[in-house]
Amino acid sequence: MTGTARLKLLVLPAALFVLAVYAWPTLGLFRNAFHETGPTGAMIEAWSLKTSQEVFSDGFTFELTLNSLWLSLSATLIALMLSYPVALFLFRTNSRFRGLLAVIAIMPMLISGVVRVFGWLAILGDRGLVNTLAQSLGLISTPLKLVFNWTGVTIGLAESIMPYMILALLAGFGQLDRTLEEASRSLGASPARTFWRVTLPLSLPALALAAGLGFVLSMSAYITPKLLGGGRVFVLATEIFEQATTNTNWPTASVLAIYTLVLLLLLLVASNIAARGLQR
Amino acid sequence: MSYLELSGLQKRYRDSVAVDDVSLSVEQGEAVALLGPSGCGKTTTLRMLAGLVDPDRGAIRLADAEITRLPAHRRNMGYVFQSYALFPHLSVARNVGFGLEERGVNKTEIARQVTEALALVRLAGLDGRRPRELSGGQQQRVALARALVIRPAVLLLDESLSNLDAKLRDTMRHEIRSIQRSLGITTLFVTHDQVEALTMCDRIAVMNRGRIAQIGSPEDIYERPATRFVAEFVGRANALPATRNTEGRAVLWGQALPVEAPASGEFDLFVRPQRMRIVPVSEPVADGMARVTGRVLRSVFVGDHVEVLLEGAGGQLTIETQSGTAALPEGAEVAVIWQARDTLPFARETP
Repeated sequence: MTGTARLKLLVLPAALFVLAVYAWPTLGLFRNAFHETGPTGAMIEAWSLKTSQEVFSDGFTFELTLNSLWLSLSATLIALMLSYPVALFLFRTNSRFRGLLAVIAIMPMLISGVVRVFGWLAILGDRGLVNTLAQSLGLISTPLKLVFNWTGVTIGLAESIMPYMILALLAGFGQLDRTLEEASRSLGASPARTFWRVTLPLSLPALALAAGLGFVLSMSAYITPKLLGGGRVFVLATEIFEQATTNTNWPTASVLAIYTLVLLLLLLVASNIAARGLQR
Repeated sequence: MSYLELSGLQKRYRDSVAVDDVSLSVEQGEAVALLGPSGCGKTTTLRMLAGLVDPDRGAIRLADAEITRLPAHRRNMGYVFQSYALFPHLSVARNVGFGLEERGVNKTEIARQVTEALALVRLAGLDGRRPRELSGGQQQRVALARALVIRPAVLLLDESLSNLDAKLRDTMRHEIRSIQRSLGITTLFVTHDQVEALTMCDRIAVMNRGRIAQIGSPEDIYERPATRFVAEFVGRANALPATRNTEGRAVLWGQALPVEAPASGEFDLFVRPQRMRIVPVSEPVADGMARVTGRVLRSVFVGDHVEVLLEGAGGQLTIETQSGTAALPEGAEVAVIWQARDTLPFARETP
């Protein structure tokens, strides 16, 4: 056996695993998408495009798409603006606590999404930290509606994708060399000008990478929109779950799932092209 | 007052002193090298000058104005980094024009000066390239042009030649020196390469452990090293343990030399290998010459010279002789002579 052949063996277990838990069910998804649901709720092996036609002629699908895109976009942008300074700091600091600070930054990843949502409820709810504080300071008289609506979901989602984006930023900061900023300073650029002319342009590939990841994670997020949305926030992910479990309408759920997958693939291709453009 | 004055500069890090106490005066148009081994504080000194590191103590004065606390971007120092630090996202022309853009110079003027600066470093026509499309030598020239185009008060070069191959380094050394001279620009070099320091500068400050061990012309430093460290670091030298006889003369390998020994303490005699000559044992000793005898251990051909290792009664020493002469057979008994005034006694270092 040659060296490369042996090397390929190393990916075999992973490849088999992916085949079993991802490729096979995805195939099932494609199969279900061509079936129909009968009046009794039972699945009929129809091999037709009827379910697809129903899904795409329904205005609600369009609305869900816009909701998902808008939610993901706003959560990603908020998370990006909060993650970038943190990642820059972690990348730069010589502090002996750097390792610890990095762990703290990605700590939310270690906590279950459900627990995190309850944390947000305690902070943003009608009797939560924010409202109690604002009321006792006399800033507001009636509690602000911060949860069980789009505001709450956006906040919760932004927070949940931040650790991933920080890691992606740190991984993408390759070109960011401190000496370049020193060169800029020595040439007469103030710290602000240096950020604008050197740091930010050289961070663009990392920012694109992190934004792409945050967006994909937001599009597929289910727990946060479901729990912090309080049944008032409808996105593709919640609808797929609804159709598959509550309505046991597998064909419709399958069509929506494939539709979401294609949407994400298109966005991935687009962001790759954009990232390559930025690197040039 | 000199053009540039560093006085009592100090920089400490958590548990080490990078620069202990550095004072240095540089005249306008002068080129001074900070020479020393890695960790001697030379780069930190340069960075304090550029405003990239804040000194803990001491002051920097430029043209009679205190600049110790002035932020880097208001100092007008042209810094050429060891890694060149070219902006990878900008073209060569925009790299060179960066400092002018920050100074609000208008576009036509920038274009004119950039073209001029690129011509000066012999890179005319490469304006549109990206840094990564250039060779190491070309990148170095762009970095130099970028630092020169702002007409800096002082040009600072941080190990700027160390990433180039030997031949290119030679060429760049001469080019930088001639540009520096023709523009009359005050320059500070940081280098650990003595050839660079000796050939490119009017004066050399040899640094050791955060302090300046000696400042002087290249000749001073080489011929009259003030400390043992300087003698060891600049050029090669035999360090020969010697003793003192009752007349106060140095005694080497049992032979009294016409060299005065230090009044007290253990000491070594420093003699440069190329100042020594091998002669037949029978040759009489001339006045003012020092002489020891020994046996040839081996000769090594090094191209332009031959290194001869000699063993005598009290140890070994190395002599550099010209190549092209008849090789000495191993084991031959010979005498080694040198001018007594080329002998420098230094107290032995207690480790």
